[in-house]
Amino acid sequence: MVFCVFLLSLYSSHGQNDTVHFEINFTFNKEDLQLNKYYLLNGTDSVEINTLKFYISAISLLHNGETVWKEANSFHLIDAELNKSTKFDLAVKEGVIYDKFRFNLGIDSLTNVSGAMGNDLDPSKNMYWTWQSGYINFKLEGRSNVCLARKNEFKFHLGGYQFPYNCIQQVEFTLPQPDLIHLQIDLAEIISELRFGELDHIMSPSFSAMELSSSIAKKIRLRIP
Amino acid sequence: MKKSFILLFIYVYLFSSFRILNEKSFIVPTGFPEPAYDFSKNILTTEKIELGRALFYDPILSRDNSISCSSCHSVYNSFAHTDHDLSHGIDDLIGTRNAPALINLAWHKSFMWDGAVNHLEVQALAPITHPKEMDESMNHIVFKLSQSDLYTKLFMNAYNDTSITGEKILKALTQFQLIFVSSSSRYDSMTQKQIKFTYQEENGYNLFKKNCNTCHAEPLFSTYTFANNGLGLDTTLNDFGRMQITKERSDSLKFKIPTLRNIEYSPPYMHDGRFKSLFAVLNHYTSGIHQTTNLAPELKSPIILSENEKVDLIAFLLTLSDKKFIFNPDFSYPRELFAK
Ligand code: HEC
Ligand code: HEC
Repeated sequence: MVFCVFLLSLYSSHGQNDTVHFEINFTFNKEDLQLNKYYLLNGTDSVEINTLKFYISAISLLHNGETVWKEANSFHLIDAELNKSTKFDLAVKEGVIYDKFRFNLGIDSLTNVSGAMGNDLDPSKNMYWTWQSGYINFKLEGRSNVCLARKNEFKFHLGGYQFPYNCIQQVEFTLPQPDLIHLQIDLAEIISELRFGELDHIMSPSFSAMELSSSIAKKIRLRIP
Repeated sequence: MKKSFILLFIYVYLFSSFRILNEKSFIVPTGFPEPAYDFSKNILTTEKIELGRALFYDPILSRDNSISCSSCHSVYNSFAHTDHDLSHGIDDLIGTRNAPALINLAWHKSFMWDGAVNHLEVQALAPITHPKEMDESMNHIVFKLSQSDLYTKLFMNAYNDTSITGEKILKALTQFQLIFVSSSSRYDSMTQKQIKFTYQEENGYNLFKKNCNTCHAEPLFSTYTFANNGLGLDTTLNDFGRMQITKERSDSLKFKIPTLRNIEYSPPYMHDGRFKSLFAVLNHYTSGIHQTTNLAPELKSPIILSENEKVDLIAFLLTLSDKKFIFNPDFSYPRELFAK
């Protein structure tokens, strides 16, 4: 009981803040990820990542399981190549108390059927399929000697907003400490689960796109300072 | 600006049954249903339509500045492409489908023969990036347009801002295409009781209502749904239509039902342009139907038409020709913009 009161007071004092800093980092085997650099994979094989781009959207904060704040127009294109895109501030209403952070990995179906969009959703960002409508939620491209494809390339364009191939993923974290939301993805964790010899590209909505999206979502971790 | 379609009609809904969707320019013709397009999110203006028109006619949208939208969608063919069964694009590469007429697009629920595209605003991305069509990227188009004085001016006029984005390009192209409304054919004059059909046209109309209207439904002459109308698979193309999108077997060989408005102007016919004349189309419906499991139920038992009835039915189809559309000065090549 006393502990609860203590927790409450802790959260409410943090609730005064009106900007919450968001940041996401990429690593490869715990080292900072560098694009276009060869990494060793399980001793013998090598892998290089050229493109890592994805959407996070519908950011919200919760308290005791209820949504207490939602970001307006919440669409962020994260691009490992653009450091700037990996951090931003959330303008959280003053006094909001929260213990959980939630977002979608990918773009919701309503947005997918609403025509041409601007800013991070602009089709000139190359995150929109052209021959069939829909956003690419997650793009991972690179090379590995294990890939049989041309130039040893692998290309995963994950997306699909329609049943049965809807592959948007909801991700949430309980926050031990508010005002700073620091996420992390270790690419080695994702890549070590891929079987390049069998599957080196996904370019359209499919069950494999859903499976990989869900596995990637589980690899997003909260970085505890 | 003298734009004949931009007339501000007085709101006399009850008497004229015209409905004005927004202050400018888009008029739902008498007897037409509500459009599927949401105009509130992309309000039509003269300047944006003008920008869209320039973009539609400008080969700057292709990799080597050789192909424009109008290369495959010519106003004289109701924005379809005659002479070619399959479309021709950049480097003379041949595509896999026939370019459809662009008519009454505000009422379409999806785009392309297989419905691959869910919204008119994102349709242009397909031809622009297709390696056999325009082979360009949106990124590079934004760059090319930013270098152009003409477009800096046109974007400024349209958006009150010189910054050029993919969204603005796509919305302007959409505005121009939304005004491709055909509602001034002989058929429309007949339904508005301004003229009477000839005996032959009347007979053809009755045959049409009996045999064709469930799919090519008045007044748009399409339900914009998908159907298998009994065309056999062309094994050189292996185009299974809708099934390629939904991956459902039941959608095999289904294609979007095309409108029959301006059908006179847009041969060849069908998704692969396999028929050169309307007679050939009618012969297909009377004696060429391929019986497959998901053939449309309307076509399971043969349509019977005598040779005279075919002539009458075609006489009716020709009443759907809209000369005002074909010769609408607002739709044509914007000579005044490109003259240097
Ligand atoms: C190389 C020829 C070619 C070019 C260039 C071209 N198109 Fe098309 N267009 C086609 C073909 C073929 C289709 C049908 C495609 C399909 O069904 O897969 C089509 C379909 C369309 C449709 C859908 C119509 C419907 O009824 O579903 C629209 C709208 C359209 N084009 C607009 C444009 C615009 C705008 C441009 C310029 C940015 C353009 N096209 C450039 C050949 C072309
Ligand atoms: C079951 C629905 C259905 C019925 C009934 C039907 N059609 Fe069609 N029609 C279609 C479909 C679907 C297409 C496009 C097929 C394709 O290209 O694969 C089409 C295409 C056409 C075309 C070619 C249009 C173009 O732009 O290429 C013409 C002309 C046509 N139909 C006329 C008729 C006539 C006349 C009748 C009555 C005798 C009729 N149709 C009955 C579904 C139907």
